[in-house]
Amino acid sequence: MTMLARWFRGGRWLSPGAGALLLLPFALVMALAFVYPLFDLLSQGLFAPNFTTAHYQRVFDQPVYLRILWRTLLTAFSVTVLCLVLGFPVAYLLARLQGFKAAVVAACILLPLWSSVLVRTYAWVVMLRREGLVNSGLQSLGLIDAPLKLLYTEGAVLVAMAHVLLPFVVLPIYGTLKNIPPDYERAALVMGAKRFQVFREVILPLSMPGVASGSLMVFLTAIGFYVTPALIGGPQQMMISTLISQQVRELLNWPFASALVGVLLVVVLGIAAVFNRAIGIDRLTGGKA
Amino acid sequence: MHGVSVGIERLKVAYGPVTAVNDVSLDIAPGEFLALLGPSGSGKTTILMTLAGFEHPSAGRILIGSDDVTTRPTNQRNIGMVFQRYSLFPHMSVRDNVAFPLKMRGVAKGERARLAEAALAKVRLADFAGRMPAQLSGGQQQRVALARAIVYEPRVLLMDEPLSALDKNLREEMQLEILRLKEQLGITVVFVTHDQQEALTMADRVAVLSNGQLQQLGSPRDLYEAPANRFVAGFVGEMNFLDVAVVRSGADGAVVRLPGGAQAMLPPAQIAGSVVGEAVLAVRPERLAPVETGGVPVTVEQVVYSGATMLLVARVDGGAEIRARIGTHAGLAPLARGQRIALGWAPDAARLFPPGA
Repeated sequence: MTMLARWFRGGRWLSPGAGALLLLPFALVMALAFVYPLFDLLSQGLFAPNFTTAHYQRVFDQPVYLRILWRTLLTAFSVTVLCLVLGFPVAYLLARLQGFKAAVVAACILLPLWSSVLVRTYAWVVMLRREGLVNSGLQSLGLIDAPLKLLYTEGAVLVAMAHVLLPFVVLPIYGTLKNIPPDYERAALVMGAKRFQVFREVILPLSMPGVASGSLMVFLTAIGFYVTPALIGGPQQMMISTLISQQVRELLNWPFASALVGVLLVVVLGIAAVFNRAIGIDRLTGGKA
Repeated sequence: MHGVSVGIERLKVAYGPVTAVNDVSLDIAPGEFLALLGPSGSGKTTILMTLAGFEHPSAGRILIGSDDVTTRPTNQRNIGMVFQRYSLFPHMSVRDNVAFPLKMRGVAKGERARLAEAALAKVRLADFAGRMPAQLSGGQQQRVALARAIVYEPRVLLMDEPLSALDKNLREEMQLEILRLKEQLGITVVFVTHDQQEALTMADRVAVLSNGQLQQLGSPRDLYEAPANRFVAGFVGEMNFLDVAVVRSGADGAVVRLPGGAQAMLPPAQIAGSVVGEAVLAVRPERLAPVETGGVPVTVEQVVYSGATMLLVARVDGGAEIRARIGTHAGLAPLARGQRIALGWAPDAARLFPPGA
């Protein structure tokens, strides 16, 4: 049963007509500002003006484009792993804290989310540049003699992207952890489980829905990320969104940009489908990981 | 399998300025079923959590058998525990849930499954091993939790209000199930409940707690027939309290003046503490009966007939309500609202407490 059908069936005081009317403004905006431009863009890659696959062939013929796509996927994957490793303990802490302490940690996670991505990315530029905080700090401590090249490296891109995307993995994991009754942990301990066994056997499997949806959110957002890789990465770290932007803005090659968008879209939808299937099956068997 | 003794010595648990448990000592015999009974905030759950190692004493010792486990971590205490909300792991089958403690102890896989199924058979759920917990009813889940708590043959079984989430019929069935299992295994059980009926019917001995302090430790019969203080008298079962004046008290008992002027005698065994001047007389509703001479004059306010007995709600002149449960035998004169009667009792049916205690 879809969300929509449940809505109409459950909403006694809301007639189907009224429900449709409430959805109309959103549907209109989506149609005009998202669906139409997307299809218009995609059609430019296939009809110019007659049907052609030449632009798509170019994506697959030239190794450089596939390499950029591969690098994009790899970067997104690394960022996701980094976010999970950094985010899980924070989510766990947040789920176990109460009152004022929980509010402080929640604010630390949410405040960056409310500030612009651009601001957060430039903060990393300030941190990582040659005379930046990190280099001057290390130099004054005498750990290095000459400033390190930190900006425009792959590491910088990973760290900055993970920082920007961290809340998207913390919040869903926090949600699932918060729903695990503390008695589960106590039960496991009383039955002789060591701390890491409690985590491995109980906490981690039960938090898998949150881990999966958080990973998906971070991974898909990271694939299409533009601002941070463009500002912090060098040409060696070019990701596919930067490539698309370059094709449109500098080379005015709309049809080829369209083909890149098409390939990216198929890849993203494919990954989303695989994830959804994994989580969907998961739910049927009662949350088994 | 045999239960072991559990010793709680001068236990104190404090959270900052709040003292949850204050100087409680309990000696629990091997194979005994002890109920911790009290209202919420009485410290009964805190004592259980301290036995499990989830809470840490500010003072005192905890002994399991001859081992001092006061500072031992929970996962090394080798105790079984059943929680109020079952706490079965929802991502594991019933078999895997029951096998979990064995897995933590490094028991081989085949042996684990065999022992888990044997434990499930003990709670009569052998056919449910392959199911997920969500596919079971509340009562079945609690039986699985019970199987999981005994599968590794722990020395002591702790139960934290395990039946409070079940409906009445299921609760009575589970009470029998737990008693049967306890007899079969000979395990020591510490059982927390706020339901006095449950404590009286199940336990060998009951520890009544209030405000973090032990009020009385005794058999259900002791608690009901000879409550040690006014709190226990009021908490366990129904009780009427009457303010009385002490006319005379000595080694041979006490004489008190009842509301209405009549005098009543109490044998020494029925007097808790020292009573001089003012005192409180406690008498159970089922021990009251209408009398021709003496007793307390009352005005009948309500008569509730329920077959074998009837409940009489009456008011003592000058305020206090008094309830009587009277057997409905043939010779009983009909009672009506507003009628003036006197209620009396046998000398050993009432207890005398110092005022306020």
